[in-house]
Amino acid sequence: MLMRALHDEGVELIFGYPGGAALHIYDAIFRQDKIDHILVRHEQGATHAADGYARATGKPGVVLVTSGPGATNAITGIATAFMDSIPMVVISGQVASHLIGTDAFQETDMIGISRPVVKHSYTVFDAQDIPKIIKEAFYVATSGRPGPVVIDIPKDMTAPDKLYDYEYPEKANIRSYNPPIEPEQNQIERAVAAIISANKPVIYAGGGAIASNAFKELFELNEILDAPITNTLMGLGIYPATHKRFLGMLGMHGTYQANMAMHNADLIIAIGARFDDRITNNPSKFSPDAKIIHLDVDHSSVSKIIEADIAVFGQVKNSLEAIIKTLKNNLDDYDSERLKPWHSQIAEWRSSHGLNYELYKDESDNNSILPQAVVQHVYNITKGEAYVTSDVGQHQMFAAQYYHFDKPRKWINSGGLGTMGFGLPAAMGVKFAFPNEEVVCITGEGSIQMCIQELSTCFQYNLPIKIININNEALGMVKQWQDMNYGGRHSESTYQNSLPDFIKLAESYGHVGIKIEKNSELKESLEKAFSMKDKLVFVDVYVDPSEHVYPMLVANDSLENMWLSKDKKT
Amino acid sequence: MIKRKLIMIMENKPGALVRVVGLFHQRGYNIETLHVDPVTDFSRYKFIEEKLETKFKENEISRLTITTFVSDSLMRQILRQLNKLIDVIAVSNEETTYLKGVLLDENLL
Repeated sequence: MLMRALHDEGVELIFGYPGGAALHIYDAIFRQDKIDHILVRHEQGATHAADGYARATGKPGVVLVTSGPGATNAITGIATAFMDSIPMVVISGQVASHLIGTDAFQETDMIGISRPVVKHSYTVFDAQDIPKIIKEAFYVATSGRPGPVVIDIPKDMTAPDKLYDYEYPEKANIRSYNPPIEPEQNQIERAVAAIISANKPVIYAGGGAIASNAFKELFELNEILDAPITNTLMGLGIYPATHKRFLGMLGMHGTYQANMAMHNADLIIAIGARFDDRITNNPSKFSPDAKIIHLDVDHSSVSKIIEADIAVFGQVKNSLEAIIKTLKNNLDDYDSERLKPWHSQIAEWRSSHGLNYELYKDESDNNSILPQAVVQHVYNITKGEAYVTSDVGQHQMFAAQYYHFDKPRKWINSGGLGTMGFGLPAAMGVKFAFPNEEVVCITGEGSIQMCIQELSTCFQYNLPIKIININNEALGMVKQWQDMNYGGRHSESTYQNSLPDFIKLAESYGHVGIKIEKNSELKESLEKAFSMKDKLVFVDVYVDPSEHVYPMLVANDSLENMWLSKDKKT
Repeated sequence: MIKRKLIMIMENKPGALVRVVGLFHQRGYNIETLHVDPVTDFSRYKFIEEKLETKFKENEISRLTITTFVSDSLMRQILRQLNKLIDVIAVSNEETTYLKGVLLDENLL
């Protein structure tokens, strides 16, 4: 009944790992051929893979795990999806009903443990309810502000010897749940009036705009507004990065021009973004002169950290459509020419302290390989069209800064929770969704070792992902903070020559490994890796271990105060 | 910081109460007092039934009262977070009510 309901819901793929309490379900999987099950090597990998699948496709990821350790191993992945509002349904086996509360073998209170990191959760108390619960779970996971939903199923609820009438509900009807969809017109009119009178507007778009599939609407809006636009780490790709009005990412490691524009703006149009601490730095010093228009589907995200002057609740896609419509009716009042001084100010910022795109021109072997240059080469070789997953740390920031995403859902990373180990399994999820597309995992030697067992899954299912291991032989971001704030005391951020031989490791999992140590080999070896279309290639690139990520906001200060290099501050 | 009262009408489902209590802990809010009763007199909540196009049955909904010491802005944030819980049908403080996700400018509960 569970499998039938999942099929009727449109599920094509489940990532999971079997175990005692889930065995009835696994037997049902064996006896059907409509849904594919992917056997991972660790439940965390299953959740990240389903998460990557969901981020790339927009469809909910589905995970199946057993009770106890299966369930607890899934928690990190559920929390990752929760923080980034990713639709996911996690089905966890549970010990049989009569054993619940008796400390039975592999019993854990999954509903209790997962409660703070799920949008909602269900326990199946009556097998007859399974179709209704599945329908509701997918509806909750995908509607409003998306998020993970857990369904805990005691083993006796899936016993094969019991039969029930089956009917899959057409619609989920939850009387207490009503996410906003259409915005209120009076708020739209206030927003348009503010837009018309602004002289220094900035559009600040985040992951919510991607979740709402608002690419077309955002582009259309800015064809009229001609305003500068910045994206959060989660929002990269929602506006073409190669567009002349794109400022780059903002925040902690945002570009100089993006942070300066935000600080000096007289109007910030926040679209599906939540003013988190990596963006605002010190909220009391944040953008002192800006009026804030905030478009969001979640009431609790608005005026949580920065007070919004105009709040527009609704699906941001619909809110943007409404703004475009109202704006078009008032086009005579809108003069994009008046933004000229603002654009020239931004151009000046951009040229004075822009990111250094010319880094890779100095590639003699006298210099160590720069991590930024690795990302630039990958960008050029893949023509900017690859799906790029990343882990967490310096390499993540370099990838976000130097790989320019022109389309949404191509940049897959753990923004909110910052989960090391996310990149490889997420790349698997993307590759299952788009087997003919190039999928690159930009990672570091720290992160990759947190879920490296999934190399085995990649071999079993023949997933020719390209792994670019930016190897600085240290936990780079930790080390950078220790350099900057702790007098260079590198407490537990290096491995004392204990790193494995990644090439042999990749080979033992059945893949190809390529080691790059010299600048003169960089381009050619990367090209070689990408030319092996049907192989997973693990590229281990040794980069300058002393390199830091810049710009970097000065702690607890405003957005105009940044470190631009090790010894230069704004 | 003033002592404030919150009233919620919520589905009487397993785990619903712990979601409310857990939210207070998780977000760093404090609970002074807490009181839960099953709703037996539905006549007071006819307007909710009409709004939701539903008919409450015996033992289906609970009324929950929480008092807490918080500032104005935090009060608003707590209301919004409680409104997000799927099992919460309506939540109100002295001035406002969230009824099925819609904000109304009076305490209806």
